[in-house]
Amino acid sequence: MIKLITCTGDEICVNKDEAYRYMGLCRDYSNAEFERIYGECLGEYRKNVFYKGVYRESSLSFGEGDELFFDFCSFKSHALKKNLEGCSSVVVFAATAGINIDRMLLKYRALSLLKLMTADCIASSGIECFCDRINGIISEGRETKPRFSLGYGDTELKYQSDLLRFLDAEKTLGITLNEFMMMTPKKSVTAFIGVK
Amino acid sequence: MNIKELLNKERLYSDGGFGTLLQARGLRGGEKPEEWNITRPDDITAIHLEYLNAGSDIISANTFGANCLKFDNLEEIISAAFANAKRAVELCGKERGFIAFDMGPTGKLLEPLGDLPFEKAVEVFAQTVRIAEKYSPDLYIVETMNDSYETKAAVLAVKENSDKPVFVSNVYDESRKLMTGASPKAMIALLEGLGADAIGINCSLGPRQMVDIVKEYVKYSSLPVMVCPNAGLPVNTDGKTVFDVDSEEFSDCMAEIAKAGAAILGGCCGTTPEYIRKTVEKTSDIPFAPAEKKDYTFVSSYTHAVEIGNTPVLIGERINPTGKPKFKQALREGNISYIINEGVMQEEKGVHILDVNVGLPEIDEDAMLVSCIRELQTVSSLPLQIDTVKPSAMEKAMRIYNGKPLINSVNGKQESMDAVLPLVKKYGGTVIALTIDEDGIPDTAEGRVAIAERIIAECAKYGIDKKDVIVDPLAMTVSSDNRSGSITLRSVRQIKEKLGVKTSLGVSNISFGLPSRETVNSHFLTMAFTSGLDCAIMNPYSAAMMESYYAFKALSGQDENCAEYISFASSLKKEAVTVSASAVQKDSEDMHPLIRAIVKGMKDEALKNAKELLLNEKPLTVINEYIVPALDKVGKRFEEKTMYLPQLLMSAEAASRAFEAVKELVSASDSGKGKIIVATVKGDIHDIGKNIVRVLLENYGYDVIDMGKDVSPEAIVEKVKAEQVTLVGLSALMTTTTDAMRETVSLLKRECPDVSVMVGGAVLTKEYADMIGASYYAKDAMEGVRFAERLFGGKE
Repeated sequence: MIKLITCTGDEICVNKDEAYRYMGLCRDYSNAEFERIYGECLGEYRKNVFYKGVYRESSLSFGEGDELFFDFCSFKSHALKKNLEGCSSVVVFAATAGINIDRMLLKYRALSLLKLMTADCIASSGIECFCDRINGIISEGRETKPRFSLGYGDTELKYQSDLLRFLDAEKTLGITLNEFMMMTPKKSVTAFIGVK
Repeated sequence: MNIKELLNKERLYSDGGFGTLLQARGLRGGEKPEEWNITRPDDITAIHLEYLNAGSDIISANTFGANCLKFDNLEEIISAAFANAKRAVELCGKERGFIAFDMGPTGKLLEPLGDLPFEKAVEVFAQTVRIAEKYSPDLYIVETMNDSYETKAAVLAVKENSDKPVFVSNVYDESRKLMTGASPKAMIALLEGLGADAIGINCSLGPRQMVDIVKEYVKYSSLPVMVCPNAGLPVNTDGKTVFDVDSEEFSDCMAEIAKAGAAILGGCCGTTPEYIRKTVEKTSDIPFAPAEKKDYTFVSSYTHAVEIGNTPVLIGERINPTGKPKFKQALREGNISYIINEGVMQEEKGVHILDVNVGLPEIDEDAMLVSCIRELQTVSSLPLQIDTVKPSAMEKAMRIYNGKPLINSVNGKQESMDAVLPLVKKYGGTVIALTIDEDGIPDTAEGRVAIAERIIAECAKYGIDKKDVIVDPLAMTVSSDNRSGSITLRSVRQIKEKLGVKTSLGVSNISFGLPSRETVNSHFLTMAFTSGLDCAIMNPYSAAMMESYYAFKALSGQDENCAEYISFASSLKKEAVTVSASAVQKDSEDMHPLIRAIVKGMKDEALKNAKELLLNEKPLTVINEYIVPALDKVGKRFEEKTMYLPQLLMSAEAASRAFEAVKELVSASDSGKGKIIVATVKGDIHDIGKNIVRVLLENYGYDVIDMGKDVSPEAIVEKVKAEQVTLVGLSALMTTTTDAMRETVSLLKRECPDVSVMVGGAVLTKEYADMIGASYYAKDAMEGVRFAERLFGGKE
């Protein structure tokens, strides 16, 4: 069954070190004017973000070679197979920071490239922090593998639609795919978590 | 019997959930329910029949997902769906068995956030409606819509292809918003404007969580309200998914919802015929209260509705080329960013609505207005006022507007009313009515009231209620007739008292031809508000005007604890502090003030110093001896890793401001060092890196054509040929789009052998760039600039 998790911007602390890393900055980077801009973008982000995530357990079986079978699709991947070695099932999840963040980024695109880049990196860090929260809930009381997203290694993005349908993510989270399997809202993540 | 004969005269019942019942009959995960219309017709008929027997007056044909994006055999699916529903009605034998054609979302998000163009969405829905019409549904139900824009597309498609009633139901989450942000009031405004016959809420929430939203609908809507909740929330019991509200609790809540004023009751996910049966039992004795006409004047955006008439409303006037050379230039160059910037800045200043006027004789106003509305409504949450004298531009803009717009304007001339009022009727909107007719502007308040009265009467012929008419009695300058101010103010009072409609004024006209216009305007604004003015079209950048507004609200008891006034006053203080802080920023290094301002990323200082320098220096000298060396200094530090990307961008933005001053003095053709195309390749929507390259290249004096993101190889080749460009910069971020990069480079090499191609992006490497035949791999934006400098300097 599908489980839903929601969080406001105040409930998730954006990892500043990670946001800085995405911008190519070291963690002790210091510049007063940039600190001010970062603070302004973070404030806007927290005001606009509404995190939503869903997860669902699927059976897992291993076929010939790198073949993997789930409840919603099957495909070959050496990298994911390696990740899921020793697991008896998987939990798949989808998470999003919401469509308001897309609008916020479009607004910054018209206003300031610096703010756009800063807000984009804050949003990337924010959604990862929310994924950590979901990951924590899924892993509670059981041994799990590090999360693995489609597109990494030799996994193909085309299975994204099966995964999202399995999670009913269009209805629950408002995530839609374009013809290149890119998700909207832009700051959305899907992943597999192997359960031992 | 016709459903319209019963609508809003008595309570009607629709059916409940379908998916759970199909699953119980064996529908597998991933199987499309609509296919059962053909493969399992008896099961579908049986479910319809169960609902009819349980007391449903309306059953929805099994067509929720039936559209051409999901089915190739659409007509077959729809035809079978109607056959099943009709068979159930015949078997049931009761007179009240209305068949609705059920329309759900397409599964795609509309542009510009998603990739489905608005008109394509209208066409997808229209295609299904045209097929449905062949089978004579009693009504259409557009339901489970979580996006206001897609809802509009669906309703327009029904209205343009059928004269049957349309009921429209949206999905709200716990925050009482649609997934894409709209509030109940915003949806009420939009859907009443579009001419829906009933509106409401379904899915997502259980009945208990819907009660407050239902009350809001009943309070503000003049239309019957339809409510179809889920059977609560899904829970896992003994390995099975069940919903946590049983039929008893559900029907108890539905009785409460009926008492709150809902006119059509039904269910959604998890509900069964049993839920409907009990709902009918527990509500049939509750007296029915028909929806009553409401007099709220609303305009709306994709998020919220602004009510006019409650407290003064400010309409920002700055998106208008009149008397603004820079704005005109932006329009001629198609520089929509400039216009969006004006919108966002005004929103930050605190206006409630944005006026959008892009009329200029030498441009295609229809196309420009549509582009501006589309972009503005994506980034700004404010409702827009569509301001044009061209009916064709007005219609196109109203059609693609995501909300209920304010329309500026109609006037007392028959020609104007004949052109504008049919559009207001079709697309919905609140219209500004100017008190001018074939004989001009009357010089008495009574004359202006008479014109307003005539326009209101003409609106009534179209079915446009006077709550959707806002009269502007026109402010004429006091410099040519000193009675102008008092006539206008008297008109405002009389229009409100005699006609009972809201009023608006473009206040700045009052001071035309006078010195210190701000003083006159701000005092006139206070006088107009005191006379009962509801909306002011004004300049929010004027501190005096904003002071008048906030002071009026505080003094007239419309600002609790003077909180808004205090917040406004402290923001003024903060601005003053910021300016003085940046002015005293110094650097020990001996640099020209312009160079220092760019290196330090001080935007206002850069503009000021560039302007000063341009008094004595030629524009090209300012570029080559000040702006470029400053950027070189920054670029060098960036390359040495003593300066980071944020500082590089701060400097770039400061340099852009300096460029603004230069550009004012030279024509576009003189300033460019060379033409460069930049684009993010097909399939990739990540464009920040490409944008950084664009800004830096512009700062170095290049004429950059930014083709945006997700650009096809063919489009790039075509542009290179048309613009005779010698350098193209391509970016890709995703591993999946490196193929598109290879295709683009290959097509460019074949079709335009003389062009150089530089490539960059997170996933690219020099090896890959060499392999696909790119001329140059730039690992960051500065390397891209260096390559351009070498290429155009003849060193590559």
